[in-house]
Amino acid sequence: MGIQTPNGFKLDNSGKRIVVDPVTRIEGHLRVEVNVDSDNVIRNAVSTGTMWRGIETILKGRDPRDAWAFTERICGVCTGTHALTSVRAVENALGIMIPDNANSIRNIMQLCLQVHDHLVHFYHLHALDWVDVVSALKADPKATSALAQSISSWPLSSPGYFKDLQIRLRKFVESGQLGPFKNGYWGHTAYKLPPEANLMAVAHYLEALDFQKEIVKIHTIYGGKNPHPNWLVGGVPCAINVDGTGAVGAINMERLNLVSSIIDRSLEFVQQVYLPDVAAIGSFYKDWLYGGGLSGKSVMSYGDIPENANDYSDKSLKLPRGVILNGNLNEVLPIDNGDPEQIQEFVVHSWYKYPDETRGLHPWDGVTEPNYQLGPNAKGTKTDIKAVDEGGKYSWIKAPRWRGNAVEVGPLARYIIGYAQNKPEFKEPTEKLLKTLGLPVTALFSTLGRTAARALECEWAAHELRYFQDKLVARIKAGDSSTANVDKWKPESWPKEAKGYGFTEAPRGALGHWIKIKDTKIDNYQCVVPTTWNGSPRDPKGNIGAFEASLMDTPMADPEKPLEILRTIHSFDPCLACSTHVMSPDGQEMAAVKVR
Amino acid sequence: MMDAAARRAESRIDDADLAALAGDVAGDHAVERPTLYVYEAPVRIAHWVSAFAIFTLMVTGYLIGSPLPTVSGEAYDTFVMGYIRFTHFAAGQVLAVSFLARIVWAFFGNAHSRQIFYIPVWSKQFWYEVFYEAAWYAFLVAKPKRYVGHNPLAQVGMFTGFTLFVAFMIITGFALYSEGTGIDSWQHKLFGWVFSIWPNSQDVHTWHHLGMWALVTFVIVHVYAAIREDIMSRQSMISSIVSGERQFRD
Amino acid sequence: MGAATETFYSVIRRQGITRRSFHKFCSLTATSLGLGPLAASRIANALETKPRIPVIWMHGLECTCCSESFIRSAHPLVKDAVLSMISLDYDDTIMAAAGHQAEAILEETRAKYKGQYILAVEGNPPLNEGGMFCIDGGKPFVEKLKLMAEDAMAIIAWGACASWGCVQAAKPNPTQATPIDKVITNKPIIKVPGCPPIAEVMTGVITYILTFGKLPELDRQGRPKMFYSQRIHDKCYRRSHFDAGQFVEEWDDESARKGYCLYKMGCKGPTTYNACSTVRWNGGVSFPIQSGHGCIGCSEDGFWDKGSFYDRLTTIKQFGIEKNADQIGMVAAGAVGAAVVAHAAVTAVKRLATKREDATQDT
Repeated sequence: MGIQTPNGFKLDNSGKRIVVDPVTRIEGHLRVEVNVDSDNVIRNAVSTGTMWRGIETILKGRDPRDAWAFTERICGVCTGTHALTSVRAVENALGIMIPDNANSIRNIMQLCLQVHDHLVHFYHLHALDWVDVVSALKADPKATSALAQSISSWPLSSPGYFKDLQIRLRKFVESGQLGPFKNGYWGHTAYKLPPEANLMAVAHYLEALDFQKEIVKIHTIYGGKNPHPNWLVGGVPCAINVDGTGAVGAINMERLNLVSSIIDRSLEFVQQVYLPDVAAIGSFYKDWLYGGGLSGKSVMSYGDIPENANDYSDKSLKLPRGVILNGNLNEVLPIDNGDPEQIQEFVVHSWYKYPDETRGLHPWDGVTEPNYQLGPNAKGTKTDIKAVDEGGKYSWIKAPRWRGNAVEVGPLARYIIGYAQNKPEFKEPTEKLLKTLGLPVTALFSTLGRTAARALECEWAAHELRYFQDKLVARIKAGDSSTANVDKWKPESWPKEAKGYGFTEAPRGALGHWIKIKDTKIDNYQCVVPTTWNGSPRDPKGNIGAFEASLMDTPMADPEKPLEILRTIHSFDPCLACSTHVMSPDGQEMAAVKVR
Repeated sequence: MMDAAARRAESRIDDADLAALAGDVAGDHAVERPTLYVYEAPVRIAHWVSAFAIFTLMVTGYLIGSPLPTVSGEAYDTFVMGYIRFTHFAAGQVLAVSFLARIVWAFFGNAHSRQIFYIPVWSKQFWYEVFYEAAWYAFLVAKPKRYVGHNPLAQVGMFTGFTLFVAFMIITGFALYSEGTGIDSWQHKLFGWVFSIWPNSQDVHTWHHLGMWALVTFVIVHVYAAIREDIMSRQSMISSIVSGERQFRD
Repeated sequence: MGAATETFYSVIRRQGITRRSFHKFCSLTATSLGLGPLAASRIANALETKPRIPVIWMHGLECTCCSESFIRSAHPLVKDAVLSMISLDYDDTIMAAAGHQAEAILEETRAKYKGQYILAVEGNPPLNEGGMFCIDGGKPFVEKLKLMAEDAMAIIAWGACASWGCVQAAKPNPTQATPIDKVITNKPIIKVPGCPPIAEVMTGVITYILTFGKLPELDRQGRPKMFYSQRIHDKCYRRSHFDAGQFVEEWDDESARKGYCLYKMGCKGPTTYNACSTVRWNGGVSFPIQSGHGCIGCSEDGFWDKGSFYDRLTTIKQFGIEKNADQIGMVAAGAVGAAVVAHAAVTAVKRLATKREDATQDT
């Protein structure tokens, strides 16, 4: 039996059901169930998000100026991006204009997150889907050195370096205590890299682990700490004082130099390690072009990194803004986050209740009333699910849709839209990489494409870091050291009622916050986050979301060892703490369940 | 140890006793009035020391919560907040010592010196008189009773408004002080348990701050009641806490 | 590099720990687990022969900021900690295995390393709905947590979530997220609060245990004294401006540019116990106050519910209406003052009336 979804996928849940729970190397908790046919090809995919914290409910009645700190704690991996979205939403609601320097510093912080998050995601959350750590023991250090030197001028590439590393790795493996590598899928036939490439990747896994902590120092300088740096409604908290009395207590020349040197080193690492690694790994996996899912059909990006302060128009935003539907790259549709007809959330397959579940609700009018129940065909009990029923309600994630369409968000979506808009900064590096690998443009619509777009974007972001740091210095040079606008700091200066929205492009994709303020307190707060878009369950029309779509038609070498599922799901960089909505205070009667 | 009834008997004086004590003055407009020595010197000293300390603590405490506008100049030669805090701590120590001394004196002094440290909750007669005094304040009875020490309502007021509130302020105050002196200090060893009740010391600050306002309201009532009683009641008030002697006017 | 096969015992011996105190550590551990002297020697034997202490790092309701912070550690490098000091056998965020391969590790650790592993907990269990707001491998997280705690040698509560409850436990705490010491009551728990804790504090606590062969000394609230016994305020480099009475009055004003004290902007440094002003963040680069924003008190109990982060005075919610101590106090004092004036007025009128009556009677 098979069902055709409106967005073009043929689902068949008659085959063997495979459950992966917990999905690890992600933020939060996720469960994936698939049905495979007799050839072990995935013919139906179901993703279930289950993590409940209630931040939006907790925000009600609080000071809007504090909201950034609460929403920042939605996620410690994409730390800061929720905070930025939140201060933008509050500023939008109250009509607060931020100084240009604040815009530059915020962009620097957001780009710093982009660079850091992409790098850590690739090496520490995703690489083990491509790299067989144990196989690295069989590598020839000399050949590894030759390989490394053939693809990059990165200095840590001598045979001795790889030999030392291999010895350390061998001791580690032989100790019998594999730590985080324990029970991995080593030796799985879906691993395609030769031992030398594996050894090189393991070396870079460790180098990246050392280096990533340097990148975030940019957050520490402008925001005081990382994870969870500090933000401010109306600007940024760090004052600039380059040559006056007490400059040591502010952003001064030494601080600017430190940021600068980190930017240089980050760009170097991305260009000499990350990108060559992705290209090298890609060259061994270029036959494995599964996992495209929605990317070849419908993608969306809100855009981000405004060139001009307070200007969030398509023209000002350096990351592209728009929607592509049904694979029509010739038309990029405009988005209005405030239009109640555009962004809507559905709950027909989510554990929530709407008065009319065939209709979606715009976030400003969002309702979050829990309603935990399993479909009639679910296996197990309410507190011990063996298998969910995707015909009924099956996830804590709502189903957001843009004009009724399921869309994919994230780096790949941004690159596809940038490509479609013929923006050279996105199109040229993409074409160059495709050419190196000898692949057509359609190869972008794949798991590998997602991984590659993330790497390309990491380099782009590192360049933009340099751009905005230089811009900041130029303005200071021109005599402007203002970083905050306090005209509307005091709640007495606010209107009785106000509403607004803020959006960013988080590393994982389009992120929006919607706020309603009443009597100087938060009246309603809703977040629609990237993993809600990507990990969404089905909608009333039966459209499947990006996670589910991406798993379709992927062959599995060994269903007991779901490496292919992990590989594709990881390529989205899921963040489950972000994606699961919040219940109302009376939500005690509900239960969330997830089981293997 | 005197039993409660005897103690009450001592503090409430019948007209007959007074007459016996002061001689027959009825119908005479002469100024000679019966007097009793009520507040012994240590009590009076403790009263005025506490009064000045509490006033100082209120002003400096308020300024710690809401500091004065920023002063200019280099940090090394200004110490505005430092002096305010020092004054607060010094006054706090003075209040604590005076409070302790006052407790000690309660064991040695006359019966009146013990009044503010307890409420005879077990005594029906006491509560009857509390309500009688309350009725007098509510203008429901025409004539108050006569007391040598605190009247029962005043005793309740003094016990809660002064003894309990001040004890609370001293305990929370020392606990907060121990944040600066460190967890190895005697202050922390003696008062650190406060942070077991409120693990976040910000709460202790808040309650300490609220305690100040409780004392402000106490002071308002205390001073008003003293002045009013001085005018309205049948015995002297304000001069008594200066001279120690209570004068009866009828 | 050779450290990879060193045993726990050889590491601590190299650090100058005597065999005697090593055995004391083992028997203390056995006692804390409620095990007999035989177990102590089993533990000792294990630590002498097993290369690295297994660490099970569990995630409840959290945001993964603690894990992110941990990997920022500069000394030791987290690479060295994970490869040479501990054996991080389970950590959902970075482990290679998933699904039942991951689950199997927990069972194996419990069986194989009874009383010999460290349980590190990031996040907390929600208790509403039987704990089913956070489910891990089909069971309520709280159940799994208790199970793994049962046989742990030591338990570390990472961050404000595990220690105090943090953001999901902020009012109205819809999931009834609960700090772990409220569900694991029979064992000492090392609380390492902060949102997140400083990376070097996290690795510092772990390496202290490994190096000195004992659990760190804890304060009244279960925090290691070495990092949490002083307020940020006590060691803040802006303290001199506080004492001088020099404050930032408004964001980005002259005082802000001169690095004056952030007290009036709501800085919670005076009530926050942490090492931020001394250890600082991310390899000592800065800390919130140095970068111009007040401390929000993220290592303190219930710091989310003390009113705005920008208010000096805490909001008090006990009175039904949200006000700070000054607002409540002024209203109370005002009301009492007004009542006194009214009472005095009535008294005066009555007295006048009585006098007139007396006068009338006299004539």
